[in-house]
Amino acid sequence: MAGWPQFGSGGEDRSGASPCNGVVQDAAFGRFFTRLDRLIPCVLIGVFAAWGCADLLTTEPGPGERFDQPIDGLDNGELGDFQDGQIQFRRAFTIAEGLGPIFNNVSCASCHSGDGRGVPENILTRFSRSTDLALDLGGPQIQDKAIPGAHPETLPDGVLVSHRLPPPVFGVGLIEAIPESTILAGQDPNDANGDGISGRANWVTPPPYVTTDEIGGGTAPRVGRFGRKAQVTSLLQQTVDAYHQDIGITSSYRATDNDNPLAPAVNGVDPADDPEIGDGSVNDVMQYMRMLAPPSPGEHTPIRDRGETLFSQVRCASCHTPTFRTGPHEIETLSNRDIHVYSDLLLHDLGEELADHRPDGSADGSEWRTAPLWGMRITREFLKGELFLLHDGRAHSVLDAIRLHGGEASAVRDAFLALPSEDQSALIDFVESR
Amino acid sequence: MTRAMAVLVFAMWVSTVLWVSTARAQTDTFSIQDGPAHGPDWLAIGGHGELRLGEDRVRGVTNPEWFSVSRVNGFVHFTPSSHWRMALEGTFDHPTDHFVMERIEVGFRSAPSLEIHGGIFPLPLGRVNLSHDSPRSEFTELSLVATQLIGVPNAMPGLGLKGTAHEGSLAYEVDLVTGFSDGLITESSGGTRLPMGRSNYGDGNGWPALTGRLSLHPNDKTEWGLGGLTGPYNDTQVGSVAVDETRWVHLFVLDGRTSWAGMRLAGEAGVAIIDVPPSLQGLYAQDQWGASIEASRILFDPIFTKHTSLSFALRADAVDLDRAQDGDSRERVSASLNIHRQPTSVMRFGWYYELARDRFANNTPKAGLTFTAATYF
Repeated sequence: MAGWPQFGSGGEDRSGASPCNGVVQDAAFGRFFTRLDRLIPCVLIGVFAAWGCADLLTTEPGPGERFDQPIDGLDNGELGDFQDGQIQFRRAFTIAEGLGPIFNNVSCASCHSGDGRGVPENILTRFSRSTDLALDLGGPQIQDKAIPGAHPETLPDGVLVSHRLPPPVFGVGLIEAIPESTILAGQDPNDANGDGISGRANWVTPPPYVTTDEIGGGTAPRVGRFGRKAQVTSLLQQTVDAYHQDIGITSSYRATDNDNPLAPAVNGVDPADDPEIGDGSVNDVMQYMRMLAPPSPGEHTPIRDRGETLFSQVRCASCHTPTFRTGPHEIETLSNRDIHVYSDLLLHDLGEELADHRPDGSADGSEWRTAPLWGMRITREFLKGELFLLHDGRAHSVLDAIRLHGGEASAVRDAFLALPSEDQSALIDFVESR
Repeated sequence: MTRAMAVLVFAMWVSTVLWVSTARAQTDTFSIQDGPAHGPDWLAIGGHGELRLGEDRVRGVTNPEWFSVSRVNGFVHFTPSSHWRMALEGTFDHPTDHFVMERIEVGFRSAPSLEIHGGIFPLPLGRVNLSHDSPRSEFTELSLVATQLIGVPNAMPGLGLKGTAHEGSLAYEVDLVTGFSDGLITESSGGTRLPMGRSNYGDGNGWPALTGRLSLHPNDKTEWGLGGLTGPYNDTQVGSVAVDETRWVHLFVLDGRTSWAGMRLAGEAGVAIIDVPPSLQGLYAQDQWGASIEASRILFDPIFTKHTSLSFALRADAVDLDRAQDGDSRERVSASLNIHRQPTSVMRFGWYYELARDRFANNTPKAGLTFTAATYF
């Protein structure tokens, strides 16, 4: 710097040469090294170049190796919508943008690891007084985080509690595309066939903002198909409620901030005006989830084929229905295709061991929707190498999860446990390859 | 901007860099004391800029932004006497898309050991925050500890003292500055981010923060420095309603540079401790750290022309933005082959590979091949 006094602590010293200058002026440096070692970096660069730019610049995972890939067959416009939705799904809200006042996490992606299931650290706690959602106590969900000035919720006494691990979000568009009649065809509420399994649908009345224009909407009860107890009928409700309850973000569908009713009200702590996001953002996320493809299953092997046979023989497939046929859908590629969800989307009594004793819609305290098994193949990759199965993640392996099945599934569980160990392994290998 | 137009602009920029280098070589007007600036001894007007052409991929998918103006800087330094100096300097930093006023500073030096200065100036938090001109750097991207932890360029309004002792082998700076704001939480998405709490112009929260640095310079090529900042960062009231108690942020940065076996070595490490409200703990980090180390070596000097050299540089850097989590961290290695026209310009051919971990510790690999040209003007 012209005339700039070189004093003080550090500071921009523009008076010298480049950072290498000291070395340039070091007359001794050249004597230590041969020309060969000067060429080593050049050789390394050449090797890198020969290795190929693709590997140098990271490679894309193969199709079906991730949870966040679009389903095949989307047109350019739909792919654009998918990209928009992905941005919204990943968007982490700041307090200035409306996060809170009470909340559980800062974005959709913060709970769904790689768009798959969550981990016990971000488990949600639902509570109610029987079928009463206990709104006066802050129900139906505990928000354990709060922005400065607001008060996080704590669990009130005398309520029924259920812990819920965030479920995977891929493939929900395909589930949405299954006609109600197809799901209902699998019901056997009175166990008319005498197999001990009596699945039934959870009939749920959608909230008023889910109109008849929406799949799963209207004023009459509809078949619930999303959520651990199939307590949600539409992706719109799932999205709006997640924004409102989990992140504390208001939309025109639920335009009032979610406050802790048991704490003193402090106005103005949430600086963002309501609604904090537009309908477009809600729609973007909804469309994104609709277009997320389930991962592809693993390759056939003799052991897996044996496991698949056993899966049917011991009647796992009675509830974990391998294949559904979708019906018409506004997204053409979701329409009329076979999907391998491994769930009948119906409620089943899984016994006392898994019961949360908390009703949800018409589901009682021991009933759960059959969990889809697709995506199991790569689930560990997104959960730090572990597995967290069942509604609260208590099972750390498929074997653990099977052992915890009770109620209607007791006979199937016992049939599995009676298998020779190699057959058990084959069946588990098949399940973990889905 | 179309790809063809971008190529044209970039070619023009490279031509400018070469022209500046050639002009300097022909006139050879600058010296160690004059530096790359224009004007008489008492006035320096100049700046520097950097253009970047690169192929960046995230998990195999190409980033559409392959051409960018990385950084543009302008400065005016006025030295009316040996006691007084004034400086004005601003930088547009593309990676953060922020314009940062780095200096609006007045200094009065009564002796080498005592200068009082005030205005807006860079916080003495590590060597990189104090000195990060693009044409002098071996890498296009600043280190992760610089950008993610310290928030380089990080300049704030303040007032303080600085000086040297023992013929310049010891230097100090101690300042009161406006300090970080609660933007490090309220403006931050996905966790605590100190750069979001920088208060370049206004006051952060009504209370000053204390910052300073002590550095040793045993010889021309070696420097060891320890800097720090401590102060409150949050507003405790919304209107007349008390919403929180005073929360503090502490940031410490150790830096060093030296020469060894013909190589120039430099490094920086930082630790941040943030007092996060209990209702946000678990999502917002209370402990962060980061470190970087780089080595560079001249391969050929001169090469092409008298003042041109070819160097190779390697850097490893990492930052953990939430020590309580497995994830929320980034690691990167960078390599660069640089043609320096000393000290005004540089053209770099670089490669980097970075692993970013989300809060689930899922890895997202990112890598790039870059060509950048930077020059003073």
